[in-house]
Amino acid sequence: MKRCAIIVSGLLAASTALAGTPKFADESATAGIDSTFKGEWEFMVGGGVATFDCNGDRMPDMLLPGGELKAKFYRNIGTVGGPLKFEETQSGLELYMVSGAYPLDIDSDGIMDLVVLRVGENVVMRGKGECRFERANEAWNFDGGDAWSTAYAASWEKGASWPSIAIGNYIDRTQDAFPWGSCTDNWLHRGEGEKFAAPLALKPSYCALSMLFSDWNRSGTPSLRVSNDREYYKGGQEQMWRIEPGIAPKLYGPDDGWKVLKVWGMGIASRDLNEDGFPEYFLTSMADNKLQTLTAPAPGAKPVYSDVAFARGVTAHRPYTGGEIKPSTAWHAQFEDVDNDSLADLFVAKGNVTEMPDFALKDPNNLLVQQPDGKFVEAGETAGVASMRPARGAALTDFNLDGLVDLVVVNRNDKAEIWRNVTADAGHFVQFALRQPAPNVDAIGAWIEVKCGGHVARREIFSGGGHAGGQAGFVHFGLGVEKTAEMRVIWPSGETGEWQKVEADQFYVVEKGKLPEIWKAQ
Amino acid sequence: MFLRTLKSVFAAILLVFAALPASAASDGAQNGQMLRTWYRLVLELVRHTSNYSPPVASRAFAYLGVTAYEVTASGDPSLRSLAGQLNGLEKVPARQNGQTYDEGVALQAAMAFGVRNFFTHTGPTGQRALAAMEKKLGAKAAEGVAPEVVARSEAYGRQVGEAILAWSANDGGANVDNMGFPPDYKLSDGPAHWTPTNLIRIQQTPLLPDWGSNRTFATASGATCDLPPPPEYSEAEGSDFRKEAVEVYEAVNALTDEQRAIARFWSDDPMLSPTPPGHWISIVMQILDHEKADAARSADILARLGITVADAFIGCWHEKFRYDLVRPITYIKRLIDPKWETLLITPPFPEYPSGHSTQSGAAEVVLAAFFGENFAFEDATHAADGIAPRTYESFHQAAEEAGISRLYGGIHFRAAIERGLDQGRCIGAHTVKLVTRQ
Repeated sequence: MKRCAIIVSGLLAASTALAGTPKFADESATAGIDSTFKGEWEFMVGGGVATFDCNGDRMPDMLLPGGELKAKFYRNIGTVGGPLKFEETQSGLELYMVSGAYPLDIDSDGIMDLVVLRVGENVVMRGKGECRFERANEAWNFDGGDAWSTAYAASWEKGASWPSIAIGNYIDRTQDAFPWGSCTDNWLHRGEGEKFAAPLALKPSYCALSMLFSDWNRSGTPSLRVSNDREYYKGGQEQMWRIEPGIAPKLYGPDDGWKVLKVWGMGIASRDLNEDGFPEYFLTSMADNKLQTLTAPAPGAKPVYSDVAFARGVTAHRPYTGGEIKPSTAWHAQFEDVDNDSLADLFVAKGNVTEMPDFALKDPNNLLVQQPDGKFVEAGETAGVASMRPARGAALTDFNLDGLVDLVVVNRNDKAEIWRNVTADAGHFVQFALRQPAPNVDAIGAWIEVKCGGHVARREIFSGGGHAGGQAGFVHFGLGVEKTAEMRVIWPSGETGEWQKVEADQFYVVEKGKLPEIWKAQ
Repeated sequence: MFLRTLKSVFAAILLVFAALPASAASDGAQNGQMLRTWYRLVLELVRHTSNYSPPVASRAFAYLGVTAYEVTASGDPSLRSLAGQLNGLEKVPARQNGQTYDEGVALQAAMAFGVRNFFTHTGPTGQRALAAMEKKLGAKAAEGVAPEVVARSEAYGRQVGEAILAWSANDGGANVDNMGFPPDYKLSDGPAHWTPTNLIRIQQTPLLPDWGSNRTFATASGATCDLPPPPEYSEAEGSDFRKEAVEVYEAVNALTDEQRAIARFWSDDPMLSPTPPGHWISIVMQILDHEKADAARSADILARLGITVADAFIGCWHEKFRYDLVRPITYIKRLIDPKWETLLITPPFPEYPSGHSTQSGAAEVVLAAFFGENFAFEDATHAADGIAPRTYESFHQAAEEAGISRLYGGIHFRAAIERGLDQGRCIGAHTVKLVTRQ
């Protein structure tokens, strides 16, 4: 145990800091998953997995993309605390040319919908209940376009009854001899009443591979971060758009303090790692990855970031096992506390683009475990998740609701893998599902704060980021040795709930204006 | 003076695909355009192949230039082979006596072979582009040409390509691992010497420390145009070394818009541009496009320019690791202003001499000898990246500006620039001596 333990007792800290060694059991062969993200050039990127509950049991189901093959929906048929078990089920989501998907209750009816990214037309799929879905492009006036879509983020703008969805697009796939500089425009599908307005081109666009609406300066209005692949843009850079209701999107620029950064941007993970109340952003790339922290965190801060990846040990620039020394290629990234010690850890999916000989071909996924001093230590191999398959998308989520975050990874031209978190000496946890009246019933844009041992852990509830896939469901916090904690919610409206005492190792449904209620699996 | 915007460049590319007439593959101007279309792809591949740092790019430009030149020269009695003039190139395959060849098909086949083999490490998009280019240009070149002539010409083009590739294999630069950064490298002790200047883990060792011992092309070795030592390292106020640092510090702190534009124009960062040697190749391509130059003229100058920038990088790297000098940012942050920042990203290798200066000095001499001392031109290399074209009265003026841009950018001291230009001009003179016309 780490931070919470340190606060409670130095002796306890000393005795438990070395414990909490994360362990994952590979259940790919037994979990009922048999899915490959297959494809050539147009599927060298993408491969994002969506995890969400669609039958009301709150156990995460999932959609695995197939690229040129059909996407496969897997219903979670496991038991609480048991081995991971899924059953392929016809859902209506079995589309071809899928590069990724994100869950989002678009119509706020309490049934999860999906935004499916494709090479071709993007599709919004309305949840009908019991894990059945139907196409809703026409009903919701969603113009799916015809592009190589690779990124997504969603937000409810203030006063809107319908979400605004940003779609990131990649290369113009009709350009064969000179594709560089041919980035297709990204689109912003703003809500207009209870449907989508015609998409707005976000010009300039620079081949986005990840997008995230995030309230980076805690202004109450999230901005749209866009991570772009420098391989294909000309004159481009990382971007952040100011998205304010009723106003045309505007890029942050040098006058705002925004600094030029050019990376092979492939994924965004976000978490407030230093407890300053402002999120850090991990950007995946090739070779060195970036961890950005706001240089002067304060209300009214300028978007000036410094890179602390080296200092905190998360450059993850080359394989740590397998014998290769060539640079790595990183895709999905996600912060979760895998050992419940109260410190966010970082998973990074790794995989060569397509036998690029200057980059590692055997490129193990990273599991970077945060230490009490804020540095991260590689634990992928000891944890058992150092797969050498060419990973793309991934999701860390508690599939069996045992309080430990499990892992699924999508591999390109290879089978997806799934691991159950079996960390024996993990700490305590608490998980929350937010609920508020429509619209935006899942409170996208809220912040959950958990006070534990004198520290406050914060998570922003967002829909987007990662690499081409996202998660919906319980939001997990590790508590270390603490058996109780306090939590509060800062709702998307800006209203701040009261601190509420919660018990460790419980799942809570937190409805706006009500006390958190313990939820028990049936 | 002329203008070539990127739009027109792409239009020209499309024109090649669309307008190469049947049976016209032997036409010199068409073949010149075809050659330059290949080079446009090469500039993109340089930008988008991760181990193509400036030295590595310069090497590819040299070998591809020689490939194009040799296959062209073998069919043109007015041209003389570079075999016997370049280090290690003893012989280039000859054509069969009495047989008919199509110049366009042979050149196309040689370039396709060369580009494919010098860019084996490019990513899936580059490979796809390469295949598309080979298919389209190959089909156009063969249009209206008798099948047996196509087969013979393609075979000959490949033979030349194979010979050049074989010649390149043992020059010391064929294998570049880990993007050119050695996993293990002992830094020199003492404040006078290079130390990593960024927090990128892979760049904690310097780029290609052994590049200076590679086989050169037209100079005898990397030591041929060696340089005197840089000003003696000193931290004392008023010392020559400190004065140089103060000059960089003050220059960066008081940049004019024009100086800032100059620094950015010649920044030529690897993986974000065609690199410094690619910038000079781009300049020449714009000139050749404007001239509608034929294959012989295009191949001659592209070979010469490739050779000289390759020799320049070998010579420059030879001196860089001989003197292993600290970068301005390290010195200034430690001794003058810890909060100081450069305009440009400091490259991850020793300071003296300036690589861009060396290769620009070499390019200047070679291009002036070819096009004339006072050849005015406009350079739109970075138009697609939103950087406005700049105009020059001569190659000398452009080289001088490329050199001083590194001071404005905060990444070089003046001595590295001025002596780099000197070194480059010395190296360029060796290339000028190559005889290509009978």
